[in-house]
Amino acid sequence: MSTNHRLQLPLTEDAVRSLRAADLVYLDGEIVITAGLPTHQRIVQHIDAGQALPIDLTGAVLLHFGGYSREVDGKLEVVYMNPTTSTRFIPYMPKIIRTFGLRAVGGKGGLDTESARAMQATGCVYLSFPGGLCTLYSDAIREVTAVGWQDLLLHYRLVKLRVAGLGPATVGIDAHGNSLYDDLQAQAAGRLERIMESLNADRGKSVPKP
Amino acid sequence: MAVTYELMKSVTAQLYRASLRKIPEDTKDALRRAETHDTNETARKTLRVMLRSAEAAEGQQRFVCSDAGIPVYVVKIGTLVRFEGDIRKAISDGFDELVRTSDPPLLQHVTNPLTLERGYRGKDVPIVTFDLVDGADHVEITCSPKALGSGRWAALEIFSFPSLETIEKYIIEVVLRAGSQPCPPVVIGVGIGGTFDYAAKLAKEAMLRPFGQKNAEPIVADMEERLLRAVNTTGFGPMGTGGDSTAMAVHVNYAAGHGFTPVAVEFNCWINRRTRARIFNSGQVEFFE
Repeated sequence: MSTNHRLQLPLTEDAVRSLRAADLVYLDGEIVITAGLPTHQRIVQHIDAGQALPIDLTGAVLLHFGGYSREVDGKLEVVYMNPTTSTRFIPYMPKIIRTFGLRAVGGKGGLDTESARAMQATGCVYLSFPGGLCTLYSDAIREVTAVGWQDLLLHYRLVKLRVAGLGPATVGIDAHGNSLYDDLQAQAAGRLERIMESLNADRGKSVPKP
Repeated sequence: MAVTYELMKSVTAQLYRASLRKIPEDTKDALRRAETHDTNETARKTLRVMLRSAEAAEGQQRFVCSDAGIPVYVVKIGTLVRFEGDIRKAISDGFDELVRTSDPPLLQHVTNPLTLERGYRGKDVPIVTFDLVDGADHVEITCSPKALGSGRWAALEIFSFPSLETIEKYIIEVVLRAGSQPCPPVVIGVGIGGTFDYAAKLAKEAMLRPFGQKNAEPIVADMEERLLRAVNTTGFGPMGTGGDSTAMAVHVNYAAGHGFTPVAVEFNCWINRRTRARIFNSGQVEFFE
């Protein structure tokens, strides 16, 4: 069962906890995006040093999106954006989720069990944004409201922007400890024996006999 | 008449530009079929939005994905072809020109593996492989920019006198390791035999083969059919959030080798970047994918 939701940001804990894995969501409001490993490392360094980030992430929606942005008439605009693989940020995510009480994180490919635990504790979901939906996601951008760490590559910077109807994204990990990624990986591993049995049983069946 | 520097530069740049804005027709058909048949509701919703995105990008000539990848070309040279000018440099200059003129601009994905510095240029980039085709009077170029999402899940293992079961089990294990990551439904290319480097090349060419061509060798055709069914039994589904559509195709190539048998597996994500053209000695250019 997959329910569609249109969510207004910032998200309340109740709104987040009402979501279930496999639900579909669209977002309205302000999100923060970055696609940078150095960015995640720097966020954690700031947390450890007790320093404030250039963009406050408290209760935020932090998405692993890479985007091309440029300055037009002194204002930054994001020309296009698209999700990037979240799994490479896994070592940093549990701490970032817990420290800021993030309400949603997202990108593609999911996060690990440790991140899912952090999400369950704080009331946060992981949103799977299908890759290759660049046009649809870019059309949801309304304006850039803040940019942090301009010394980094364009798609590594922290960019805060307002979106309207950003989606669809699938709830990949909900705030109740359910992870489609862990479940499907376990399911596939559980099916391996049966898959090999049928590969073996069917081998050569379609090959004409000489 | 000849295949000139100018033609090579312009055609390789055009192929790259087109590959970012359009997914191949056979791939759209495969996604439509998957959308009809997948038994999982989330999967069908995801496939529908993928098709909508592909149509929007093609119709509006915008990027399908923000990861424009790194430039990868497979070039097949007819032995009757005459060249004029620096052809290797033409491919590199074509990419430079694309970077300069692309609207919207490309992101910097070319990465120095030793320093992790990123830019638009780097050692040996564009990645190009060349082959000879006896008797042809044209150059055939396939452009398949590789992005991070699918690129990082390729794998290769070397076995000694393996059974088909050992080979197939390895392929399924690589699929399980990739799981939700390479933006399924994927295209899987498998290369078996030859040498370490040649197996990887075979896998790449298998991955780039158009859909629906039944393999001429019954034992390989049988393997491809069974492997596709097997991969689609894993349950990862579109974007790895569940479903029956984990792969659109499994293509296998092989070469004879010694008793050591490399098995290489490569993935393309659902947008299956693949554009092709031929440049003839006459100067005629045929874009056919």
